Amino acid sequence: MKAAGVLLALVHNTVGIMTPFLLAATGGLFTELAGMLNIALEGLMLFGAFFSVVFAGLTGSLLAGVVLGILSAMAAALLFASITLNLKANVFIAGLATNLLASGLTVVLAFQMFKNKGVVRFELGRLPVLSIPVLQRIPLLGDLLLGHNILVYLSWLIVLAASAAIYRTPYGLRLRGTGLSAATIASLGLRPGSYQMSAILVSGFTCGLAGAVLTLNLAAFVPNITAGRGWIALVAIYLGNKTPWGILAASFVFGLAEAVSNYAQGAINVPADFILAFPYAITVLAMILYSIWRHYKGRA
Amino acid sequence: MKRRSWEAVVAGASGLAITLGISFLIAVVLIVVLSKQPLATIYYFFVGPLTNRYYLGNMLNTAVPLVFTGLGIAVAFKASVFNLGGEGQVYSGALAATVICLALPQANGYLGGVLAAAGALATGAVLAGLSGFFKMQWGTDELISSFLISSAVGFIVNYFITGPLDDPGNNLLATFAIDRRFFLMRIFLPSKLNVSALFALAAAGLVFFLMYYTHAGYEMRMCGLNREFSRYGGINVSAYVVLPMLLSGALHGLGGGLAILGTYHMAVKEFSFGMGWNGIAVALIAGNHPLGVVPAAVFFAYLDAGAKAAMLHSDVTFEIAAVVQSVIFYLVTAQALYNALRRRRRTA
Repeated sequence: MKAAGVLLALVHNTVGIMTPFLLAATGGLFTELAGMLNIALEGLMLFGAFFSVVFAGLTGSLLAGVVLGILSAMAAALLFASITLNLKANVFIAGLATNLLASGLTVVLAFQMFKNKGVVRFELGRLPVLSIPVLQRIPLLGDLLLGHNILVYLSWLIVLAASAAIYRTPYGLRLRGTGLSAATIASLGLRPGSYQMSAILVSGFTCGLAGAVLTLNLAAFVPNITAGRGWIALVAIYLGNKTPWGILAASFVFGLAEAVSNYAQGAINVPADFILAFPYAITVLAMILYSIWRHYKGRA
Repeated sequence: MKRRSWEAVVAGASGLAITLGISFLIAVVLIVVLSKQPLATIYYFFVGPLTNRYYLGNMLNTAVPLVFTGLGIAVAFKASVFNLGGEGQVYSGALAATVICLALPQANGYLGGVLAAAGALATGAVLAGLSGFFKMQWGTDELISSFLISSAVGFIVNYFITGPLDDPGNNLLATFAIDRRFFLMRIFLPSKLNVSALFALAAAGLVFFLMYYTHAGYEMRMCGLNREFSRYGGINVSAYVVLPMLLSGALHGLGGGLAILGTYHMAVKEFSFGMGWNGIAVALIAGNHPLGVVPAAVFFAYLDAGAKAAMLHSDVTFEIAAVVQSVIFYLVTAQALYNALRRRRRTA
């Protein structure tokens, strides 16, 4: 019975923890389908994390924080996009630049505004939690899926919307076409560049929200709070076979890995550094197994 | 033909000058916005690193690991292989060198130093080589796998530095110090500049020779230009996924190891942070040319030293260096910037 309770709690926590992965990976899916390796997810998320909590602190409104945080991340995405698309810079290097800019600028601004390069705390209300008493009584499902903050549910809606946009609209068709063959899209009289631009902006939107989830939950900004989540989101896109539902599954796995390591931190005597290394180790292992599987499947 | 390539060089150089010019401009703007005494801050940022032997030597010393990481990235990029794990390779190389020195209380200074450097080199090579091996064997993307392995290893190194090897006697998150016998000789007192700077120059020369004057180097560059064509030409292309990674990792590891022997004398938690990332920028500024890596590394070290001097003597924080460096990252590969210059030259 105790084991079942632990498992239930783990999965419940996973549903919350996976949200930033899920959001960032969903936005990254757009850029990936448009044929760009978007390693800026990490930096865009950090922009969203910093500005959402700062604006929430300044305005006293969580909603304003979320909206302005997303807009800040989209502004950074716009910079990233115009340098890659208009100045024709290497997308990979410009992505690195975005990550470097995010980690540098957030600390510079935090130091300037709060004279503090460490943890900055804010007086914020808690994110509203969705609770529907009737549904909560459903065993298992009620325990696992309800009682999270509303941004978690918003992320599910975004995955649904992303899936619809990618597979059910002309826009999605052309976006995927851009990734497969930009020349074909151009020959139809469309501009592949504007599809790539829109994809980067979408990734800015979702990463901004992903960052907001991190800091608003904590009511604090910690330098480099994203801690590699953008990279893991990138891997989730590959492991999820570049589909929204695959990404959902992959994000769940990474969320579970983090939930298990959080649990292990309290329950078993493992050095914290090993626990921090665990998500990366499990990710690289998953990647290798996946490529082995693909290697032999392709051969058979 | 000759004329055109010369024009390309001029356009490339002026494009680079514009990139660096814009980055300096951003530095000035940032300082004016952030500092309460902008003129003094600007002075310390740009002139500070050159004002005395101590600052100048330390700046050159900061460039030394960047030469190694820049070379490591240049080798990989020339072969179109991506090593994003530089951070972890430098850091674990540094730990390996420290451990070897600590494990050899009786050894002769030279022998121990050589062993430590060799251990650092091997550690980096194995870490990066793994990603190359996975790529060759199963097509696992080396860019992401090298990053992930390096990140995981970084935490493990942290564990050893702050756990089993931690010296409770010092107030740092750092290991026991290595013995004086293993220290590399200082060559520009009172600064920390040491003979590893000469090793860095030698490494740049060696990598240049390897890439441009040997058979393996030729085949590696061919694979970088066009892997399919190279396969058709009878080159063993899968070997040139692993070899550049091994070399790249070895240079990163060695850079970390020499930083311990020459500068730090103990592994301090996260002391090498940024050396790997900045190596990428250094290689790109150098156009992935091994000899260009040296001035590019010095330039990067200059930005770092400038930000440090500005922080010490004025009221801005060190991270403005990261912002300025990100501007360089943004623009250094911006084709349009370079092409615009080339076009204007042609019409003129």
